[in-house]
Amino acid sequence: MEPAHGNGESRNKRPLEGVRILDLTWLQVGPQATRLLATFGAQVIRIEWRERKAIDFIRYTPPFAPDHASADGGRSQGVTRGHGVRGNYDRGAYFNNTNPGKYGITLNLNHPKGRDLLRRMAREANVICENFSPGQMDKWGLGYGDLRKINPGIIYIQTTGLGKAGVYKDYVSYGPTAQAFSGLTYLSGLPEPHPPAGWGYSYLDHSPGYFGAILLMAAIRRQRQSGAGCYIDMSQSATGLMLSGTSILQRQISGKPTVRYGNRKPFLDWSPHGAYRCAGEDNWIAISIQSDEQWRKLTEEMGSPDWALDNRFATAAGRKQNEDDLDERITAFTSGCDRYELMNRLQARGIPAGVVQKAPDRFDLDPQLKARGYYVDLPHTEIGTWPVEGFPAKLSRSPAKVGGPTGRAAPKLGEDNNFVYGQLVGLSAEEMAALAEEGVI
Amino acid sequence: MNPEGNLGSSLAGLTLLEIGDQMGEWAALLLAGLGAEVIKIEPRDGAPSRRIGPFASDAEDPEQSLFFWRYNLNKKSATLDVDKPEAHPVLAALASRADIVLLSGEFETVERRLSLWRQLAAENPRLIICTITPFGLDGPYRALKATDLVQMAMGGIMAVCGYDPDKEGVYDTPPIAPAMWHSYHLAGEYAAVALMAAINFRELTDEGQFIDLSVHEAVNTCTEVAIPSYVYAGQVVKRQTARHAAPSITHARLSTSSDGTLMLANLSPFEREQRALAQLADQVGIGHVLGTPEFEQLEKEDRVAAAIYRNDLLVEVVSSLPADEIFHRAQAQGLAWSPIRKPEQNLDDPHFAARGSFATINHPELGRDLRYPGTVAIDGQSPHFSYTRRAPRLGEHTEEVLRRAGLDDSQIASLKAKALV
Repeated sequence: MEPAHGNGESRNKRPLEGVRILDLTWLQVGPQATRLLATFGAQVIRIEWRERKAIDFIRYTPPFAPDHASADGGRSQGVTRGHGVRGNYDRGAYFNNTNPGKYGITLNLNHPKGRDLLRRMAREANVICENFSPGQMDKWGLGYGDLRKINPGIIYIQTTGLGKAGVYKDYVSYGPTAQAFSGLTYLSGLPEPHPPAGWGYSYLDHSPGYFGAILLMAAIRRQRQSGAGCYIDMSQSATGLMLSGTSILQRQISGKPTVRYGNRKPFLDWSPHGAYRCAGEDNWIAISIQSDEQWRKLTEEMGSPDWALDNRFATAAGRKQNEDDLDERITAFTSGCDRYELMNRLQARGIPAGVVQKAPDRFDLDPQLKARGYYVDLPHTEIGTWPVEGFPAKLSRSPAKVGGPTGRAAPKLGEDNNFVYGQLVGLSAEEMAALAEEGVI
Repeated sequence: MNPEGNLGSSLAGLTLLEIGDQMGEWAALLLAGLGAEVIKIEPRDGAPSRRIGPFASDAEDPEQSLFFWRYNLNKKSATLDVDKPEAHPVLAALASRADIVLLSGEFETVERRLSLWRQLAAENPRLIICTITPFGLDGPYRALKATDLVQMAMGGIMAVCGYDPDKEGVYDTPPIAPAMWHSYHLAGEYAAVALMAAINFRELTDEGQFIDLSVHEAVNTCTEVAIPSYVYAGQVVKRQTARHAAPSITHARLSTSSDGTLMLANLSPFEREQRALAQLADQVGIGHVLGTPEFEQLEKEDRVAAAIYRNDLLVEVVSSLPADEIFHRAQAQGLAWSPIRKPEQNLDDPHFAARGSFATINHPELGRDLRYPGTVAIDGQSPHFSYTRRAPRLGEHTEEVLRRAGLDDSQIASLKAKALV
C-alpha cells in the first residue's frame, strides 16, 4: 500500500464518487451546498425548466460576461472584462461562480411526463435537493414521502427560510429576511442610535449551504454503510440562530439585552480595536490590539506622541474607557498613511493589522490568495474560461476540485440533456426527441 | 432507533482530538453534534477561549465563559502541556486511538506542533489531520498576525458591510465586521466540510490525509457578488445600510413599526408584491393609487418617482401597526418581511420551539437548564445535530482520557507530579 499521507493525490478515488445528486435548487442557498458536493466528486445534476418564471433568477441577473466573451475567449484566455448587456440565460457571471462542476438538464415538472421522468431518475439517485416554497414538491407528488416509496434509501434535503415544519411553515423568506428574523442583522453595526448595518449580502444564503453540505455528507456516509435514507428540513433562520453567538445565553443568565458594539470586542480586553481611515478614497485598515505590549509597539510606530503616553491609555481598561477618544487620535495618525505600507509596518512589529480589502484588492493584489491558488480557471461552453472562487482548504489526498466531475464552470441551460437522458437514464434519441417535442425536456 | 432518523449520532465511534484555540472550536462542535467524540486537549490554565466573555459570573472566571460554553458543548476536556516533549508519548497513545486531529492557532504554534503529528501520521496512516490557521501553512502571508476583525477585513466581508455614504457620496462611517466571530464560523463550517470529505474518502480507501485550512480563504468565499462583479464587469460594489452592496446606491430604506421596531421590508420588482402592498394598505385603511391607471401612467413616465411612491407607501403601512402584527399580515400576503429581532427575542418564539431549534442543556453547577441554539435542520421530528452535555470543566475528563490511552495510576501520578496535566 502506498503511504496515505504526503503530497500525492489519490489517483482514482474521489470522496463522493458514485454519488448522484438531483439538484432542483436555485438562487443561492441550495446551489452553495451542491457546489461543495461536486467539489468532492459527486455527480450533481441541475434540473431546470425553460420558462422564464422557472429559470434560476441568478441566470439572468447582472453582471453578465462581456458581450465579446466567447467559447475560447474568456478572461483567462486574454479577453478583457466588460459590462455585458446581452444577458441570455448562459452569460451570468454570478451564476457561473455559483454552479461550477455541475451538469445541467431541462425538465418540465408541470408536465406529468416530466414528473414521471423525475421519479425514474430518483430511483437511481442518492440525494435530491430542492428549495421550492414549502409544499410545492408534495403538490407534484414528488415529496419525500412519495420518493422514498420509489427509493427507500434516498436522501432528501429541502432548504427554506423558516423551515418546512413549524408555525411559520408557509412564510416566505430571502436571505435578508432570515438574517433580520434570526438576529444576525441586529448584531451587525455601530451602537445605538445608529441603526443596524446588517449584512451587505445574503449571508444566510451561504452558511446554510455549507451546513447542507456537512449534513449531506454525513447522510451519504450513513447511506453507504446501511442503505438508510434521510430527510433534512433545513431552516435558514435556525442557521442564523446557530450563528448568533452568546446573545441567547447572556439573556438567560443575566437578563441583559443584546447591544451592538461596532468593530469593538467588548468581552475581551482588546483595545484599540477597529477600522481606521487611511490615505485615499474609502481606504481603511483594521487594527486589533490584544495586549499592553502590542499597544506599546503601536505607540512606537506612531512616533510615541505625548497623548499616547498618557496614563489614561496605559492599560487595556483605561483604553476601553476612553475608546472614542483613542479612536479619533489613532485615525489622525492612520489617515495620512498608505494602507498596505501601514499594514506591513504594523505586522513587522507583530501587531494584528490588515487592510479592509475590496474586490480589486483581493483579486489583483492579494499575494496570499495567488500563492495558494485560490482562484481557479474553469471553462464555460459559451463564455470561455474565467476564474472561479475556490475552496479554502488544501486536502493532501482528495483535493478540492471546484470543477467537479464536469471539469467545467456552470452548465448552460440544458447543456447536458443528451448525456444525462441518453447515457445515465438510458433514453433513446427518438424518445428524447419526442419528449422535447412534447415540452417535457 | 429509526435508521432513517436524525444524523445526531451518525459519526458515533469517531474520535476527534481538538488542540488549539477558538479558530477550531466551531468545526469540532459541529462534528460533536453529529456524534463524534471530541476530546479537547487544553493547557493547564485552560483554552484561550475560556478567557473570552461575557461571563456568567461577575468576575472573569475560566469556568464561567459563555463563549466557552457555547462553543464546547458535548466535548470532553483533558489537560496536557502538549508542547513539552514528555507529553509526546501521551499524544502518541491518544493518536493511535483517534480518527481526527484538529490543530488550530497561529501559524508558528501550529507549524511547530505539526512536526510531531507528521511522525504520528506515519504510524497511523488512517489519521486525518486538519489545521486551521489564519492564512494557511504556506504563502507569503502565512505568518501574519490576525484576529477575527483582521480576517473579516482582509477576507472582504467588511468592505461590503456598513452604512450608506453621505449625500456627497463620501463614506463617513467605517466598514463593519458583523459581530460574533464569523470568520471562525466560516472557517469551522468549511473545516467540517473538508473533514466530512476526508471521512468519506477514508471509508473508500482506508487512507487518512492532511487538511490545511486557511481562515483567510474561508472568509473570501463568502462575499457573494463582490468578486464576480469585479472580475467580469470591473464593477466595485458599494456598502449600504442593511442592504446588499451593489455597484450603485439603491434607495430602499429601513422602516419602523408603530411600536418602534425596525423592519426589514422591501419590495422586489415582481408585480405580485405590489399587489400585496396594495392589499396591506387597504387593510389598514391607507389610501393609495397602486393599481390605478394614474399609477400605471406614472410608472411609464417616471420609474424612479413610482419606486419612491411605493417605498413611501410601504413605510407608512409599516408604521401603522406593531412589528409582530405587520410581520404576520405581510407574510399572509406573501411578502418576505420580518422584524429586525435581537437573537434572544426568538427564545420564546413558537416557531423555533415547534422545530426543536433549541437544545436544553443541564448545568448542574447552576442548578438549572439553559437553552442553546442547537440545530439548523430537523428530520421532521428531531434535530439533526444533537447537543446534550454542557461544556466541560477544565480537565474534567483528564483521568478518563489518560486511562483510555492506556496509562495506569502511577503513570498518571507521574504526569501530575511533573505538572504536565
